[in-house]
Order: sequence, then C-alpha cells, then structure tokens
Amino acid sequence: MKHDKIERNVGILIILTMLAISAGGLVEIVPLFFIKETVEKVDGVHPYSPLELRGRDIYIREGCYLCHSQMIRPFRDEALRYGHYSLAAESKYDHPFQWGSKRTGPDLARVGGKYSNDWHTQHLTAPRSLVPQSVMPNYPWLIKTDLDYSDIQGRMKALRVTGVPYSTSKAEFDKNVKEFGEETAKNLHIPDAEKNLIAQAQAGNYDTNPDKLTEMDALVSYLQLLGTMVDFRKYDDDYFAKFR
Amino acid sequence: MTTTSVTNTEQYNYDVIRKFAIMTLVWGVVGMLVGVYIASELAFPVLNFDIPYITFGRLRPVHTGAVIFGFGGSALFATSYYIVQRTCQARLFSSGLASFTFWGWQSIIVLAALGDVMGYTQGREYAEMEWPIDLLIEVVWVAYLVLFVGTLMKRKQPHIYVANWFFVAFILATALLHTFNNLAVPVSLFSMKSYSLFAGAQDAMTQWWYGHNAVGFFLTAAFLGMMYYFVPKQAGRPVYSYRLSVLHFWAIIFLYMWAGAHHLHWTAIPDWTSTLAATFSIMLLLPSWGGMVNGILTLSGAWDKMRTDPVIRFLIVALSFYGMSTFEGPVMSLKDVNALSHYTDWTIGHVHSGALGWVAMVTFGSFYHMVPKLWNTKMFSNRLINIHFWLATIGILLYITAMWISGIMQGLMWRAFDDFGNLQYAFIESVAAAHNLYIMRAIGGLFFLSGMVLMCYNMYKTIKSGTTEQA
Amino acid sequence: MEWLMWFTKFENTKPVSLVIFFVLFCGVIVYLFGSKQRGAQLESFKNIPLQDDDI
Repeated sequence: MKHDKIERNVGILIILTMLAISAGGLVEIVPLFFIKETVEKVDGVHPYSPLELRGRDIYIREGCYLCHSQMIRPFRDEALRYGHYSLAAESKYDHPFQWGSKRTGPDLARVGGKYSNDWHTQHLTAPRSLVPQSVMPNYPWLIKTDLDYSDIQGRMKALRVTGVPYSTSKAEFDKNVKEFGEETAKNLHIPDAEKNLIAQAQAGNYDTNPDKLTEMDALVSYLQLLGTMVDFRKYDDDYFAKFR
Repeated sequence: MTTTSVTNTEQYNYDVIRKFAIMTLVWGVVGMLVGVYIASELAFPVLNFDIPYITFGRLRPVHTGAVIFGFGGSALFATSYYIVQRTCQARLFSSGLASFTFWGWQSIIVLAALGDVMGYTQGREYAEMEWPIDLLIEVVWVAYLVLFVGTLMKRKQPHIYVANWFFVAFILATALLHTFNNLAVPVSLFSMKSYSLFAGAQDAMTQWWYGHNAVGFFLTAAFLGMMYYFVPKQAGRPVYSYRLSVLHFWAIIFLYMWAGAHHLHWTAIPDWTSTLAATFSIMLLLPSWGGMVNGILTLSGAWDKMRTDPVIRFLIVALSFYGMSTFEGPVMSLKDVNALSHYTDWTIGHVHSGALGWVAMVTFGSFYHMVPKLWNTKMFSNRLINIHFWLATIGILLYITAMWISGIMQGLMWRAFDDFGNLQYAFIESVAAAHNLYIMRAIGGLFFLSGMVLMCYNMYKTIKSGTTEQA
Repeated sequence: MEWLMWFTKFENTKPVSLVIFFVLFCGVIVYLFGSKQRGAQLESFKNIPLQDDDI
C-alpha cells in the first residue's frame, strides 16, 4: 500500500490507527474473560449481604480507595504485615474492584476481624484519638447519619444484571443454598433485603449503638468482612501458585 | 508540492478557540488550587474540617478531573482546533458543532466536580464520573470526532500534517477507552449510582488499560500533536525530521496500548499479562525518546533562542521533562523496581513530573504563542513569562524531589526487617516520616500555582490590549 | 473461545509477535527511508506549519 494514500485519506488513517490501538487491549484483556485460570477455585467467597453492600457503597462514596489498597502482594513483609496475599477469587463479586493504587494508609484487604467494632467506630469518627500520627480525615457524619436503604433492592438487582448471584425466585435461592450454604443464601435473597439488613445490623451492633441504624453500621460491617471469606488453613500455598 | 495560499484569520473559526483558551486558564487555576489544598490536607489533616464535601477522598477526583479534563482537555480542544484549521487552511466545518463541544465539555467538568464533592462516584480513578455524565461525554466526544474529521476532509492542503494524526489517534483512543471502561449498570433511571459491568481482576485490567492509556493518548499523544506544531512555529524553523515524526507516531500509538497492566504488577492478575506489559513499557522508551529528540533538534542551529526566548524555553524544558518521565516510567515498570515503588509516593511524583513538567509546560509554551495571535496582539510582558518559567520549574523540582524521597523511604520502611526477622517499622511510622516531605510537596505545588496565576494576569492584560477584529 | 488460550502461552506469543512487529517495523522503515525521492517529498511536508503565517 502506498503511504501517501494514508496521508491523503482520512478514512485510511482512521482505520489503521484503530487497528494499531486495538491490538494491545484485545490480546491482554479479552483472554482474561475466557481463561478459567484467571480466578482461583476456592470455597467461601460469596456476594455481600445487603448491609455489607451498603457499607461498600459508602466506602466508595468517601473515596477510601484513594488512600487504601485492597491487594496484598506475595512478599514476605506484606505477609507479615497484612496476611496471605490476595486472590483474584476474593474480589470476584467486586463491582467495581477496589484494589487501589496508593497506600497513604495501610492495606485493608484483610482488615476484617483485626479490630473490634468499638475501635472502628471510634477510629472512623476521630482517627487521631487512637493513632496520633494518622493523617486520615475524621468521618463524624457516619455515626450521625441514618443509613438510607430505601433502594437496596434496586442496588442488588443492578448487581444481579452484572452477574452477581442475588436471588429473586425460590429456584435461585435453592441454588444459592447449595453453593453458599443456607445462612449466606438467605442474605442474598432480594425480596428479604430490608429485613436481612436490619437483622444483621441489630445482631452485629457495629456502631455500638443498638438503637440506631447508621452509615457507620454498614461501613464497619463491610470492613469486618474484608479478607475473612477464604479459610486459608484449608489450602497449601502451592495450590494458589498455579493460577498466577 | 504543497500549496501556498494567502490566508487571513477571517477564514478561521477563532471564536471557539478563544473560549476554550480562557477556560483552560480558569481550570488550570481551579485544578491546581484544589491540588495544593489536598496536598496540604495530607500534611495537616485538620484542613479536612470534618466537612464531607472537602475531605481528601472527595476532593482528589475534583483535582484530577479539573486538571486533566478541565485544564488539559480545554487546552487540547483549543490547540487542536487552531492547528487543524491552520494546517488544513480550512475553517471548522460547523460553528454550531464547535460551540456544542465547548458548552458540552464545560458542563461535563462542572457536573463532574459537583458529583465528586457530593459523593457520586464510580470508584474508578480518573473515571469517577457517574453514568449520566459518562453518556454526556460520549455525545460531546463523538461531536468532536465528527467536527475534527469533517474539517480534515475539507482541507485545501493535500497532505494532512502529522500533528493532526496525533489528534486523530487521541480522539479515537479516548472514545474507545471511555466507552469500555465505563460500562455499568445503573441502579435505576433516576439514580446516580451504578455498578461496573466487570468485577475483580477483569475490572482491574479494564480500568488500568483505561488509566494508563488516558495518560498515553490524552496526556501524551495529543500534547505531542501540540508540540509538533508549536515548537516549529515558535522556533521559526521546520521540525528536525518529518520521517522520524511519522515513525514516532505509529510506534507510540501501537506500543502504548500494551503497557497498562504494569500498574498491576504482583497483583492477582495472571503473570503473563504483567510480563507482557513490562516488556512493552521498556520498548516504549524508544519512540518516546525519538519524539523528544525530534522536538529538541528542531532548534539545532538556533540554540541561542533558549537564552533569548522564554516561550522556547518552556517548550524545550517540557520536552526534557517528557524525556525524563518516559525514562522513569519504564524503569518503574520493571517488576523488581515496581515491588518497591508501587503504592508509594514515588508514583505520585512520577505522574507529576509528566503532568507538570510535560503537559502543563508544553501547554504554557503553546499558549504564550497562540493567545496573542488569537487576539491580534503581542504578549503583555515577556518578563512575566520568564518569571512564570522559573516559578514553574522550581515548583516541579520541589514537588518531585519530595515525592522521590518519601516514596523510596516508604518502600524501604515497609520492607525493612530487624535482626530477629520481624518487621522493623509499624505502618504509621512511615506516615509520620513523610510529614515534612508532604509540606515540601505542598510548597512546590504553591510555586507552580503562583506561576499559573501570574500567567492568567499576563494573559488578561494581553487580551485586554488585543482585538478580535481582523486587523 | 478456547483458541484464545494459545495467546497466553509465552512460547507462542513471543515469536509470533516478534515476527509481526519486526516485519511491520521494517515496512515502515523501508517506506520512510528506502527511496530518496519519497524521502524528499515527505520532508517537504514539514514546512506546512510555516506556510500559514499571516502576521
């Protein structure tokens, strides 16, 4: 082909440019959607309960991902500081992913269960009262704001469209029971979302005030779940290595 | 070969360019001001004032949105319209469409900033805008493509000058990236909340394919187009080698798209993607430096202009920073270096050496050349341009030095072990150790911002003395 | 979509991409620098920005 055609014809310039810029993305990204090895097969990973989902929404709303990663790399220091390195499977229901790109604060991929609910509530409200050198903003409005869960079913339905197995029918519910166990499957049933959300907040008492259902309840319930879904005692390390 | 026709400014649509030029300055000040403020929040967290709307997590997307899409985007609209008209000797083919891209783009920036402070966010870096804004971007961007290509098609000049190629690639790539990275399912028609279509590892790859190439095409290819026009114009001599610029173009647009996954080294994506991305990142060094050399050698035989012309100095120093950060980038994409640098301030420093050193400096240089021509006048003060140059340069140096030191320090502290094999430092010790460097960074930003404000004053005086009537 | 698996094997992708890129690269180089006449013509385009001067 003669190059001066390219220079003279906008159409050809556009087509060749499109070819040049599409190659990289096609080869690197598209296979990830089809290769089974991208995501490990592990037990325990399940979609978020309604309360945790609202907590995650608040995590995203406040831009936590801009200072906290949720991705532990396979290094000795990170294993000691944060725990087992993160698996792709652990974020397979994360729309969007929250791996982050910066650690102005520590990684949160396995923060669940490391601190008490009291600690989290106090820390989110006034971080420097617990960690004097922290540069994290105070989030005093979380404990004061009632959690809005009016559109929780809409949120779960939207996620269902993306492929998260929230159930609407008895058949889907039964399928979830098989896959995740009855306790978890109940929480994934969309028609019971409000009921489940309130029940989990009351049982968990995350914001240390049982009378109010606040944004703090939701956020702390999410933080307490992070990184706790997979029981790593059941696997030896070589098992995960083959997926990388 | 090429036709030489006598042209006058009446045959061009300068009106839309003037509007974009002014908004570039406005968004520059706003975006950099917010940048200095959030930098100060990290040094003095009391500045968050317990107000949700101005906490770091909500203002940071305001900063990135205002500088990348407000300042950078408006500058690209202005210069691309200027360049395409003058190198094609053709008027923008539709004034209505041009006007639409202006008002559309400005409302996008405002809506995005409002959405960010209100907490409406997709939680994806540099793509925080929620779905209604994304749709608006899509519409405005298609209008931009149609207008640009339509103008190319009615050109009087048979050859399409290479600067326009870079703009075409930038417009196409941005459309592609924006579309696929923002696929999402809204909660309802009347809800600002949506959930991304992809999850986990696939979502991460899509996002960093977007994130890296937004840098590659929005902040690099397009500004190279700017460079290929304004460096020769200001130097008064043609670009060093046209054939090198053609090679530069094809190499850079092809190689860039492969490198995105280097933002995900050591994470839960397959190893092969990561290695492939690192390989391409190294290869990218060649066309990047080829372009830099091409730009700088344009000046060969006229080096004295570096001393006498502050505008040339802006342009050439911009190219030098471009060379520096396109060397630093491939180094940081090596897995072993990345293991240390990732998640630290080093990344922030790297981005800013590119964003301030290359993007902003080449914009300043181009604007000092273009704005007087748009208003048929001369720059109000060369001395102020010179002062701006030094404020900007000192600002950048303070900024990236602070971030290099704090970044490498964080990386080393996180991985330090004591004699007993335990971690030597608690995480919070690395936060405390960065305090003074965060102050230094904010001061660097303040220098850069004051240069920007000075530029606005200089431009205001220039525009006031000028006229939009044809002389 | 199983055929996509093929691309994930480095022993496959490395030589193939090397060949493709190298051939394309050589094509562009030959085009740009292979003929003196074409070279001179290409270089003449670099004056385009300087021809629009009206001030």
